[in-house]
Amino acid sequence: MTRFCWWLADIVSRLLEPDEREAVFGDLAESGETAGQALWGVLGLVGRRQARLWSGWQPWLMLVGAIVPLGMLLSIVSRTTADGSAIYIWMYANNWDWALTKNPGFWRVMAETAGSLFLWYLTLVCWSWTCGFVVGSVSRSMIRINGVLLYLVLLFGEAFGAPHYFAYVQQYMHRAFSVPALPDSNAAVFDVTFYREMLPLIVQVVLVAVPAIWGLSWGLSASKLPPWSRAILWTAAIATLAGMVLREPGFWILLGPPIVHAYLRPGIWLGKGLHVLQFVVYWPIAYLCASAIRRRWPRTAPV
Amino acid sequence: MLGEFEYLMLTAATRLGEGAYGAAIREEIAKATGRRCSIGALYTTLDRLESKGFIKTHMGDPTPQRGGRPKRMIRVTAKGVQAASEFYAAVQRVSRGVSWETNRIAIRS
Repeated sequence: MTRFCWWLADIVSRLLEPDEREAVFGDLAESGETAGQALWGVLGLVGRRQARLWSGWQPWLMLVGAIVPLGMLLSIVSRTTADGSAIYIWMYANNWDWALTKNPGFWRVMAETAGSLFLWYLTLVCWSWTCGFVVGSVSRSMIRINGVLLYLVLLFGEAFGAPHYFAYVQQYMHRAFSVPALPDSNAAVFDVTFYREMLPLIVQVVLVAVPAIWGLSWGLSASKLPPWSRAILWTAAIATLAGMVLREPGFWILLGPPIVHAYLRPGIWLGKGLHVLQFVVYWPIAYLCASAIRRRWPRTAPV
Repeated sequence: MLGEFEYLMLTAATRLGEGAYGAAIREEIAKATGRRCSIGALYTTLDRLESKGFIKTHMGDPTPQRGGRPKRMIRVTAKGVQAASEFYAAVQRVSRGVSWETNRIAIRS
């Protein structure tokens, strides 16, 4: 129990500034506090700190304007990616036929499918990283609590938000466009518990939550960069988020029939602009590579 | 105007002088009032006093009895001394003539 209380106090104290955390644990050690007293004291301090931070309007704006929308959007695109990839994985994994492997066309289509799945997953990782980066860039002293909140929104989005959202989009399509309720052609895929329940969760954790937290820490360190560098990074991040919104399936539908008809008109959203956005999405890879090169070979001053 | 707890902390820190830091101030307050103050109350009040310019803090050296962790050292500023003096004077003025004050004078004489 004692070790558990100290461990918990240590975890909770990570919401404090590193210097303050050291001083607090030093004071607790010097005063000879029990584990329970230490945990209670740290909880009280963290609670007071958070209450003070949340007394201003900025954290609320951050929560309502960035963390909740980005977290929900990520949950929706994560579910779309997981469900889309489930169909292809099911096609190969659950319907494997060795006779097909003798057909050269099978390997070509399989390579194309694997490439598409890889790009979908990579795009999702880059979107998640970018969302984390944006939240981290504007969080500063609230970085840890904002990270926790982003996780909670992702958890909520995965468990309730995304399923309800897709159900609502389907109902809306049925009402607004008189789309007939056809039998689900992918029902066989989602009858399998793994594709219905497990794969979305795995995608959400591995391809969304982990990259988002990774991006969060990079966003915090980006605040030390010169203004022109930050302007470039922010432009790339905003373009990426715009790309994510455009690719989100329900976004155009929920805007209403006139917009949908404009959206569906060929050539408008499938032009060069959107193709450029598709490449901008991968900016985190370029940024991480450039940072690694800079660390490996730092620029030396001319002699 | 200071709060009661802020006054206690400023007084304890002034008494401790160069050796004023979190654990020592808690000990001093506990001795004076017979109650232990929580670490949360202590550090949030320190922040408030610092933001008002009544104290200045810096990180000290780590010591073995603290598990090698540093202290947050506290120094009361001239503004802090003035605020504490004003608070004490106000307490004296407001207490003049009340029963516990007159009793205390009677006990002393």
